Amino acid sequence: MKYEEWSKISRIASKKSLWILHFCTGCGAIEMPPVMTSRFDMERFGMAPMATPRQADVLLITGYLTVKTLKRVIQVYEQMQDPKYVVAFGSCPINGGMYWDSYNTINQLDKYLPVDLYLAGCMPRPEGIINAMMELMEMIEKGEARGWEKYRKNYEKYKKNQEMAFKFGKVEE
Amino acid sequence: MVEMVFAVLIIAFIFTLFIKNNRVASIISLVVSLFPLAAFLDWGREFGINLISIGFENTMNINMAGITLHFSISPLAWFFGIMLFSLIPPILLYSYSFFSKNDGFYPFMILLMVSVMGILLSSDFLSFFLFWELMALGIFIMICRNGDRKAMVRYLSYSVLSGVLILAGIALLYHMNGTLLFAEIMLKADFETMVAITMLIIGFAIKAALMPLHTWVPPVYSTSDEPFVAFLSGGLSKIGYYGMLLLLFAMPGARVMEAYINSSIATYLLAIIGSLTAFFATFLAIFEDDLRKLLAYSSIAQLGYIAVGIGTGSSIAMAGALFQAFNHAFFKATLFLAAGSVAYRTGKWKISELGGVAYKMPLTFMAALFAIFALAAIPITSGFAAKWLLYEAAIERRYVFIAPIMLIAGVGAFLYSFRILYGVFLGENRYPDIKEAPKPMVAGMFLLVMPLIIFLIFPGYMLDMMDSFLSSAGLATISHSPYVIHTTLGNYNTIAVIVGMMFAMIPAFLIYVLRKQHLVDFEDNFIGGEIPSLYEHISMHAAHNFYKPLKDVVMPYLEGGATSIYSSLYKVVEKIADGARKIYDGVVQDYAIYVMLFLLIIAGWLLW
Amino acid sequence: MVTVVSGLINVLIIAIYATVAMMIGILFMGIGRKIVARVHNRVGPPIYQGFIDIAKLILKKTNITHGWIYDLALLFSITGIVLTILFLPIGGVKLLSTEGDAFLVLYLLAIPALGFALGAGASGNPNSAIGVMRALVMMLSYELPFVISMVALMIYYDTTSIAEIVASQYGKWAILIPPFAISAAVADMALQGMLMEAPFDIPIAPHEIASGPMAEFGGKHLGSLMIYKAGTIVAYTTLFVDLFLGGGVVMKGGIVADVVNFIVWFILIFLVFTLSLLINTSFPRFRIEQAFKFYWKYEAVLAIIALVWVYWMVIS
Repeated sequence: MKYEEWSKISRIASKKSLWILHFCTGCGAIEMPPVMTSRFDMERFGMAPMATPRQADVLLITGYLTVKTLKRVIQVYEQMQDPKYVVAFGSCPINGGMYWDSYNTINQLDKYLPVDLYLAGCMPRPEGIINAMMELMEMIEKGEARGWEKYRKNYEKYKKNQEMAFKFGKVEE
Repeated sequence: MVEMVFAVLIIAFIFTLFIKNNRVASIISLVVSLFPLAAFLDWGREFGINLISIGFENTMNINMAGITLHFSISPLAWFFGIMLFSLIPPILLYSYSFFSKNDGFYPFMILLMVSVMGILLSSDFLSFFLFWELMALGIFIMICRNGDRKAMVRYLSYSVLSGVLILAGIALLYHMNGTLLFAEIMLKADFETMVAITMLIIGFAIKAALMPLHTWVPPVYSTSDEPFVAFLSGGLSKIGYYGMLLLLFAMPGARVMEAYINSSIATYLLAIIGSLTAFFATFLAIFEDDLRKLLAYSSIAQLGYIAVGIGTGSSIAMAGALFQAFNHAFFKATLFLAAGSVAYRTGKWKISELGGVAYKMPLTFMAALFAIFALAAIPITSGFAAKWLLYEAAIERRYVFIAPIMLIAGVGAFLYSFRILYGVFLGENRYPDIKEAPKPMVAGMFLLVMPLIIFLIFPGYMLDMMDSFLSSAGLATISHSPYVIHTTLGNYNTIAVIVGMMFAMIPAFLIYVLRKQHLVDFEDNFIGGEIPSLYEHISMHAAHNFYKPLKDVVMPYLEGGATSIYSSLYKVVEKIADGARKIYDGVVQDYAIYVMLFLLIIAGWLLW
Repeated sequence: MVTVVSGLINVLIIAIYATVAMMIGILFMGIGRKIVARVHNRVGPPIYQGFIDIAKLILKKTNITHGWIYDLALLFSITGIVLTILFLPIGGVKLLSTEGDAFLVLYLLAIPALGFALGAGASGNPNSAIGVMRALVMMLSYELPFVISMVALMIYYDTTSIAEIVASQYGKWAILIPPFAISAAVADMALQGMLMEAPFDIPIAPHEIASGPMAEFGGKHLGSLMIYKAGTIVAYTTLFVDLFLGGGVVMKGGIVADVVNFIVWFILIFLVFTLSLLINTSFPRFRIEQAFKFYWKYEAVLAIIALVWVYWMVIS
């Protein structure tokens, strides 16, 4: 069954109830509490923090990602259930940010995992996060957030990159 | 025809003594065990229940050296006979695969059958006592087969105490009545009769493992062979309650005492002891790590409920007690056999060392699951009806102390049943290479589960089976149809529950069927994002010291328990004896003074 | 023919009541989140959020399973809770409650809990096992004061049937009788534990043990557990209202009375649920030993005082 064949209802339900996995890897995690609590209140959009990947829809990569953590992130991502979305925070997952020449952080996340949405900034402010989530919701409704499908299709390619990263540190260069 | 059943059993006993092959012995004893069952099923016609029709006689008198032993069937004995003898064939079927050779299990199982038959059919105290002691002996030999010293000593001392008390009680009754026949003994509400009855009840309570007379149970249950323990816990422990019921309700003369019993503090005391037994044994079971000991404490707790029923003494309570006895016979036997099959495949008894057995032994797990539903009184098996009757009875009599204690013990049963389910059967798959238990073992367990499901749907049939006992004991029968029980307080309609359940299952079933799913690997678990396969071994089984937080709070109050009562009693006796011993100090002058004092006292007494 | 038709109508009424009760439960989850949000000075999700969440979970594209024992959680949880609701009188309409009594309801409530525990155990996640352990210890804790309160009611009204208790309270709710005011207060704290609201949200503590028993549940399995959660809200609050607040019965006879009683019942369970939410938002989480001590020390003593008082009233 293709994504397009999904009923509109299921997409709207998915959009209105984004459950976020509390798997925060880098410094961006500190921006999440204000988003959840009274000041910005993400719950009004139906978003809620969840404890385990089985329950969650959205995986937040909140900042730099070491190779060691990458292994765990991939495990967690594969434990999530379709449809699932990845949102990458800050500049580190885009191009390495201030850690671009570090020996143990990866520079480009979408070599290893299909990223649906990048959120630039170091760090993005809570308003930015809310804005990104709204953007993701629109993408879901339009059927554009299809990272999970891409991951299934190009599984070999992603796997190869992941293996390389585990062996040699990073594969971007 | 009673003679014939006895003769067949005794011949089979001698015959199986000399057979070494386990399978042959198993089949012989299985066939033989059907005889008493058929006899008891046939005798149902006496009480208006025609199950099969063979036409067995049901009375027998044996003359031996001028003494006559009287045997006949009574409604109470019939109920217990059906219960015990339908328990035996599945257990023997199970033993077909469980043992590797016949080293005394089958002959003594048959001997126990003889003794149970004798106890149930006897209609005078002499034959009752003879067969009672035969049963005690049979159990002792069975315990000796495994040769655990603690179990042997504990059982022997309790058994001797029980025998002596029963004999003394019988002697007192004989002294007052001049007869041993149940039919002719008239119980009066005077002091001597009370002493006799108290002695008999304590004697029976030892067999029934009422607290604080239960300390022989855990070592015996945890060291003997499982098929035997299944029969001991499921069947033979009920014989103690048979004795109590016989004494208090089934003797013709006991009706004289009815008013006394119903108002007496003595039976209320029995009910309180029963409920406290259920309560404390449940807590002991919750913290136990040895699977067999856990089941032993659970047995003690479940048997406590029967004492509550007998102590309450109303017709609802009596029905509840008998129903509970019946259920307990089957589910506890199933659980012991399931524990036996798990140990048969894994060789482990500790719950913290087991785990994930259900994935490879699904049938054993199914049988154990149903038994646990019955144990925890979930209304998917007949276990609920029994507990329900007991609760109703407690509320009817306004037993404000007993009712909450029983209810909370019922909740405690969930705790230790989950410990069995999770610790042994679920959780980490620690035994990926084992196989399902052999077919005869599985068949035996499923045969034992059957009655639990039949009497879930038709609890009325169970009440039919006890009607004639209730009316013979002078109690009102409970109004019921096959699937509805009415009491003065409320109803229990099993058809409503089952049909309601079927309707309620529709949405769940639709969700289950319409949305497809895929099986994932066992290790594919979220443990804070960690990957178990990267390491040598991460234990994913949280069964060790499972209820630690609760244990920390509760255990200080339970420390020692009955054992500490006994050891402090022992210390007191030792102290007194030690003091007495000091008289003999080895100084001749002192002895001379003693003699002088003695003579003086004698002289003073004479002069007085 | 007439009996068949009236039987079918009865079945239909029961089915409608059960469905509406489950819908109310799901609605209450949304309302509950809204109330909590308002206490936190937030906007909160829309009140129909529960429906969206369940729809999303059930419509998830992939669902994992850890084997057939794991699936029992899905089957038992919805079945058990719907069955329980069938045996509770709702707004004076008896449904099946004349066919069973309060003890049956107590044990029926164990079916979904046991199924849930089986599923959690079969998932093999150690966090789940710890969560189930906490849930069972919680159960042992809150049941003691609750059953003592219930026994007091049963002895006073001399019945175990919830329908009869509701009928006897017509005109004078139990909570207006002094000892039962104590019982009701005790039972309300027990309700806090039953609904797993703070300070007794120990079993599902998401920050300690990754939401405990639910750690491995996702997709349709988690959806069914949310339906179960919704059902427990209705079942436990209705049990409380039936036992202490006369089941919300203010009129007798006719369809108008049924509608009025239904509305009163709805308002009452909403108030009971709101009270529990307000306690929830005001307290942090107990440890499991503290919860056990709280229920078995203070709550139990209060419950026993009420029971002795009632016993004295009954025998004199």
